[in-house]
Amino acid sequence: MLEVDGLEAAYGAFPALAGVTLRVGAGEIVALLGPNGAGKTTLIRCIAGLLPPRAGAVRWQGRSLAGAAPHAVVERGIAIVPEGRRLFGSMTVEEHLDLGAFAPRARPERARRREQVYAVFPMLRERRRQVVRALSGGQQQMVAIARALMAVPRLLALDEPSLGLAPRVVDSILAVLGEINRTAGVSILLVEQNVHAALALAHRGYVLESGRVAGEGTAAALLADPHVRQAYLGPLAARA
Amino acid sequence: MSAGWWTAAGVAAVAALAWAPVLVPRDDILNFLVLTLLTVTLAQSWNIVAGYAGQVNLGHAAFFGLGALVTRTLWIAGVPVFLAMAAGAAVAVAFALAVGGAAFRLRGAYFAIGTLALGEILRITVGNVLAEISTLPTTAIAGYRLAFRYWIALGLAALSVATVAVLARSRLGLGMQAIREDEDAAEATGVGALRLKLTALALSTALAGLAGGLFAYYHISYYPAHPFSPHWTFDALLVTFIGGVGTLHGPILGAVFYVFLKEYLAIRWVDFHLLIFGALFVGIVLLLPGGLVQAGARLRRLAS
Amino acid sequence: MTAVLLQQLVLGVLIGGLYGLAAAGLSLVFGVLKVLNVAHGELIMLGGYGAFWLFALAGVDPFAALGIVVPAAVVLGALLYHGLFAWVVRAHAETRIKNSLLIGFGLGLALHAAAVLAFTADERSVTTEYGGRVLDVAGISVPVVRLASLVLALGITGALHLLLARWKWGRAIRATAEDWEAAAMTGIDVRRAYLLAFAIGTGLAGAAGTLVSVGYSISPSIGLEWTLKALIVVVLAGLGSMLGTFVGGLVLGVAEAVSATVFGGPYREVVGLLIFFLVLVARPQGLFSR
Repeated sequence: MLEVDGLEAAYGAFPALAGVTLRVGAGEIVALLGPNGAGKTTLIRCIAGLLPPRAGAVRWQGRSLAGAAPHAVVERGIAIVPEGRRLFGSMTVEEHLDLGAFAPRARPERARRREQVYAVFPMLRERRRQVVRALSGGQQQMVAIARALMAVPRLLALDEPSLGLAPRVVDSILAVLGEINRTAGVSILLVEQNVHAALALAHRGYVLESGRVAGEGTAAALLADPHVRQAYLGPLAARA
Repeated sequence: MSAGWWTAAGVAAVAALAWAPVLVPRDDILNFLVLTLLTVTLAQSWNIVAGYAGQVNLGHAAFFGLGALVTRTLWIAGVPVFLAMAAGAAVAVAFALAVGGAAFRLRGAYFAIGTLALGEILRITVGNVLAEISTLPTTAIAGYRLAFRYWIALGLAALSVATVAVLARSRLGLGMQAIREDEDAAEATGVGALRLKLTALALSTALAGLAGGLFAYYHISYYPAHPFSPHWTFDALLVTFIGGVGTLHGPILGAVFYVFLKEYLAIRWVDFHLLIFGALFVGIVLLLPGGLVQAGARLRRLAS
Repeated sequence: MTAVLLQQLVLGVLIGGLYGLAAAGLSLVFGVLKVLNVAHGELIMLGGYGAFWLFALAGVDPFAALGIVVPAAVVLGALLYHGLFAWVVRAHAETRIKNSLLIGFGLGLALHAAAVLAFTADERSVTTEYGGRVLDVAGISVPVVRLASLVLALGITGALHLLLARWKWGRAIRATAEDWEAAAMTGIDVRRAYLLAFAIGTGLAGAAGTLVSVGYSISPSIGLEWTLKALIVVVLAGLGSMLGTFVGGLVLGVAEAVSATVFGGPYREVVGLLIFFLVLVARPQGLFSR
């Protein structure tokens, strides 16, 4: 459903993506791994419509995403959970959910949708009148995901959702993602530093290094791959 | 067009203009030229901080006004005019350095509106303290020689142009331009941003103070708060931008264009020139940031 | 002395409400577009002339004229955005503010000159037949029109607050102000949010101008003065809360009143400017940081 072909992007004079090709199929969970500065966030920004690529193509459901403004990308069915959450600090949980359903595709059923989202994140229902600035990191991450879910996406792209969160919280969030994927068939593109957790959840994965795809395969294959184990799994490799 | 060529041309122009009072002894033309030269000085002085150090100073009139105030007061009291003007410039610089440190903590737009506030504070205070019109004593009026004042105006304009010319090529100037391009990066490379900005401010306000001194020496009567009016700043801004901010010739071109258009249009409607300049200014900021200088360069390229 | 001070304080509060309203429009535009429209005062001036001419030529009561001037101002704001500021917002942060400053400057100059040419430089005021009425409250004179203006200014600010809190696009505007990229990724058309914010901001300027024309006076030159007042209040009150901005306006009005009583009338303006400069310098990181 999502096809990225030979994508090149740069920030001014600094190249960030040097030709990336990947796929996310319907109902798949795809992990995107790699070190800092590899270009993972840049790729997400390109898909989101925030950064125009220099070359290559991004296609969604067969049609090109080139030149689409970010809100148009949302309307087409891709929702982003950005790195660092990027919430609206002074607004409440409820307002975030309401804004999440801003796109026309999400307006009609939003009351029902909101109930579904609260069912998935009961903790947010309790705190719905609270200003998000006052929430914990894990709760904020839930708000960010909930906000994206309100847009009724077919593809959910998350950039480092586990960053700064306790392992228990990470587990529960990833469990929720798995749940959404299984029950609603939403595809997920998961950028993660926590390789172990990401590959435990994902069906397939790609490894990005220096703006290029350095490896790809099923989750199991990547877990077993010696380069991946050495570079990204470190001491945990001994456990697995 | 090498620097040497331009220097020779500049000197020749100044020399030619110096003969004006002798060749064209008409007061109205001389007055017109004085106004143009004053505008050139004011614009070039503003250009130093804006064009080369990249900061939009909206309080420029404060220094013009201070120079005028001090010069007028001292000169009427009997101090020789050049000394009075030097004192005026000194006071302007002192004030600039006193508040410059605080003001330069502000970036971009905040610096602009902060300096505007300062200028307005001075204008209102002076207007309250010295509300009466200042008129020259009859002895001074009797001994008034327009030609002499014209030559001072010419000298000042030449001085301001020369200052900018030398500055642009100097190490000081290049450092300033580095700040203009990217303040954070310049700071990181140890350019000593604040010191450079203060130096730019000192040069700029010294020239503005001298221009104020000329204003005080030139006019027979005026309200002391008048040279503090922000419209002097706005004139400098308009002229510099329309001509080409950050260039040497820009303020000169802009000043000539501005004064000519103003005088021409004033015959018909009082504020019409401001309407045109306001619109022109917006157009230049949006479409042709290099002003007339850039337009000229493009035309030359098209022609070649 | 106290009677004089009290009278001055009341007058200060009365005009403070208008300062707050004037600042609200500037604050909205600055907060959302990150653009400093220094022609805001000229827009206020135009609003005032709108009300004045509606009264002088068609006998429209100035308070009723709000219903005409404000929508017209909103439309003008939309046009100005499309014609000018839409280009400015394409740049990044510092360039954006600097360009907006310059463009606002040129726009203000052009509008001022156009007003002088069209309306002459004379001072005008809307003088309704009820305009001279004064309430006597415990020895203090309260001009009725000014009181009505204060109430209206508060009402408009309250309505604005509700608009931003309840209306779908009001929330979108607030979200855009906080983080435009996140807002875009949430499905908000950020350009449309900018347009709306600018149009509403101009509408607020029109409202402020209308109220200024009734209880006070207008002329083409009031632009700079009102831009400065609005700037002072925005710097004092910070961004984000419309009601907070309103209170900031009241504070400025009171501060002016006190300084006028203590130092004398002519220094009324100076205190505001001084506070402004000092607050600015105390927060060199700018107004965005929380």
